[in-house]
Amino acid sequence: MKVFIDPPNSLVLFDLVERFGHEPLSTMAAIQERVDNIEVDMPPMNVTLDDVVKGLKYAGVEVPSGVRGRLALWGPLIEAADAAIVMDDCPYSFGCVGCERSNLMVKYLIKRRGIPTLHVSYPEDDAQAIAFVAKAKEFLEGLK
Amino acid sequence: MTIKIAQLSCGTEYSSVQYEIEKAARSVGAKIVYPDVSSADIDEAVKRFGFEPRSPQLKLMIARAVRLADGKYDADAVFITTCFRCAEAALVRNELRRFVQENTRLPVVTYSFTERLKASQLLTRMEALVTIVTRKELLSRERQTGITVGLDSGSSTTKAVVMENNKIIGKDWTPSGDVVASATSVLENALKMAGVEMKQVEAIGTTGYGRFTLGEHFHAKLVQEELTVNSKGAVWLADRQRGEATIIDIGGMDNKAITVRDGVPDNFTMGGICAGASGRFLEMTAKRLKVEVTELGAIADRGDWRNAKMNSYCSVFGIQDLVTTLGEGKRFEDVAAAACHSVAEQVYEQQLQEIDVRHPIIQVGGTSLISGLVTAVGEILGEAPIVPPDSQYIGAVGGALLSSGFL
Amino acid sequence: MSEIRETRLFMISPRSRLTPDQLVRMVHAFGAEALVKETCYGCLVEGPRDLVLSIRDKVREEYRNEVFTKVRAYPCSDPRRCRAQHGTRPGFAQLEEEWALLSRIQRGLEAVEAGAEYAEAPAKKRIPVNEFKKICEVQR
Repeated sequence: MKVFIDPPNSLVLFDLVERFGHEPLSTMAAIQERVDNIEVDMPPMNVTLDDVVKGLKYAGVEVPSGVRGRLALWGPLIEAADAAIVMDDCPYSFGCVGCERSNLMVKYLIKRRGIPTLHVSYPEDDAQAIAFVAKAKEFLEGLK
Repeated sequence: MTIKIAQLSCGTEYSSVQYEIEKAARSVGAKIVYPDVSSADIDEAVKRFGFEPRSPQLKLMIARAVRLADGKYDADAVFITTCFRCAEAALVRNELRRFVQENTRLPVVTYSFTERLKASQLLTRMEALVTIVTRKELLSRERQTGITVGLDSGSSTTKAVVMENNKIIGKDWTPSGDVVASATSVLENALKMAGVEMKQVEAIGTTGYGRFTLGEHFHAKLVQEELTVNSKGAVWLADRQRGEATIIDIGGMDNKAITVRDGVPDNFTMGGICAGASGRFLEMTAKRLKVEVTELGAIADRGDWRNAKMNSYCSVFGIQDLVTTLGEGKRFEDVAAAACHSVAEQVYEQQLQEIDVRHPIIQVGGTSLISGLVTAVGEILGEAPIVPPDSQYIGAVGGALLSSGFL
Repeated sequence: MSEIRETRLFMISPRSRLTPDQLVRMVHAFGAEALVKETCYGCLVEGPRDLVLSIRDKVREEYRNEVFTKVRAYPCSDPRRCRAQHGTRPGFAQLEEEWALLSRIQRGLEAVEAGAEYAEAPAKKRIPVNEFKKICEVQR
C-alpha cells in the first residue's frame, strides 16, 4: 500500500514504512520527478510557476507562494495515499518542511482524506522509542 | 572577483524564484551562498536572537544571520527574502535585517517575493550590492573634478547635468520618450547652458532604467544603478557627505528608501505594490484636476487632507476615490492634499517599514519639487525632510561626480 | 532491469559499530555497477532502481536494525545541491537530527523484535487552577 509520511522527508518514517512492507510517499520522490525532468531548467528543484499555480487547488492566492508551492508537491501524494503515518511534535523539520503553515495544512489534508492514519509522538527516551516502533509496526502490518 | 551574497530566505525554492534570484546575482558577477550551520547552532542562535518563530526555515535564517554576525562565515553582502503575505516571515525578515546591520558592516537588502518574481526585478538591487562592495573607493569620492556629465534616464523624466570642478554649470530635464533621443536633447541643452562643447567633456556617467543603452551610445565611463548613484548625488547636493542619513526618492514608477553612512548605502528598499504609491499617481491626480503637476504641490499646501479621504494603495482605486471625492464637491486644495498625503502614507507603510530611518531625512527626485508631498512626508515622519537645491537632478549629479573618479 | 535512476542514502545508527568504510565495501560487493559514495553518516548509492533495491535488501539482511535508508531526490554530486557550490542545503539540519534519533529507533526495533511490551506515555495535564491557587497560598 502507498503510505504518506509526515514529515514528508523523514528518514525514520521512510525506512519504517519500507521495512514493514509498504511504499512510502515522500517529498524526495516528488522532487526526483522534477529534477530528472530535463525539459525544465529551474534549478535547484525545478519547481516551476505552474506548480505554484497548481497549489491554488489547496490554498487561495492570499496564501504565500511558498505554502502553495509546497502543497502542489504534497497534495497529489496525499491524494494518492492509502494510509498515512504522522510524527507529531517533531523538534526538527527543516528543508522542505520548513514552513509551519504548510505543515499544518498537510496534517489537515490527511485528516480530510479520511485514510487510516497513525499519529506517533517524537520519542524522547528509549521507552517512548519502543512504543513508537511498536505502534508503527502494528499499524503498518495491519494494513496488509 | 566573485562577490558572495549570503542569502537568508524562506520559501524561495517552493515559489519557483530561487533560479531567478541566482540568475540576477550571476548577471552582476555575484554568487548566492548560504552560511553553513549545524542543527546545534540553530537552537543556540534562536535562543540568543530571542525571537522563536514556529517555522523551522525561519529558525535556520536566524542561525545563518548569527553566523554572519559572529564573523564565522565570509560573505560580502546579505540578501534577506521571504514570501509576500507571510506575517511570521515579515517579522523575522525585518528583525534579522536590523540584527545584521547592528552586528556587521555588510550591505543588506530585503525583499518579499511572489511566485511571479523575475530576475530583472532584482537586477538593480543585486547590482547595487555588488557596486557597494567592489567600488568602495569610487563611492567614497566627495568632490567632482574636471568637466564631466551625468545622464539619468528615468521612467518618467530624463535628466542631464554638466559639472566642472565640483559645481553644476549646466542642467536640463525632459519627459522620457525615446531613451537616446531624450538624453541627447537634455545633454545638448545642458552643454549649451554650461557653455561647454561635447569634446571638452572628459567623462560621462549614466544611471536609471536606460543606463545601459545610454552608456553604450555615449561611451560612458560609468554605467551604474541608481541606488548608489542617487545616494551620492543626494548627499552631495544636501552637503551631508559624512555621517548618516536617509534618502527618500519617490519616483515615477517606484520608490526608493535608502539609508547611508558617509554617502554609501548600507540598506535600501525599492519598489511599491503599484504605481498608486508613486509620482505617477500625483501626475494622474494633476491631470484629473486639470492642473500641471508642478502646480499640484502649492495647491495641496493650501488644503487639508483630512477633508478628503483618499487611498492610493492601488492607482485604479485611488483614482476612483479621487473621482468620488470630487463628485462630493470637495475643494481641489483638499483633494490635492489628500493625494499627496496618501502617497506619503504608502511610502511610509511600504518602504520605510523595511529600513531604520536615520537622521537627517533627505527627500529627492522630481516629486520632491511637489511641496505638498514634502509636507505630507514630514507630517507622517514627524520631521521635515531636507530638500536640497536641484533635488530632481540627484542621479545626473551622482553620475557626473562618480564618473570624474575615472579621470 | 529497470533503468529508472534511484539514489539512496544509507545512514548508520550512532549505536552501531559499523563504519562507513565497511558499509561501502559491502555495498560494492553487492552490486559492483552501482555508484557508491562514502559519507560521514554512511554512504550514498546510485544506480538502476532494481539494483539499488536489491542492495537495500541485502544491507538490511546483514545489518537489519543498524542501517537506515531513504531515497534522495538528487543524483550524487548534482551541482544543484552540492554543498561545495552553495553551502549546506536546508535539509542538512534535519538529517543531522534524524541521525541522532537513529540510536533510539535501533533500540526500539531490537526491543520490539524481542517481544517487548509498550506502555502509552501518560498525557501531561495542567494542574487545576484551584490546586495552583492553594500552592500559591502556601508560598505566601
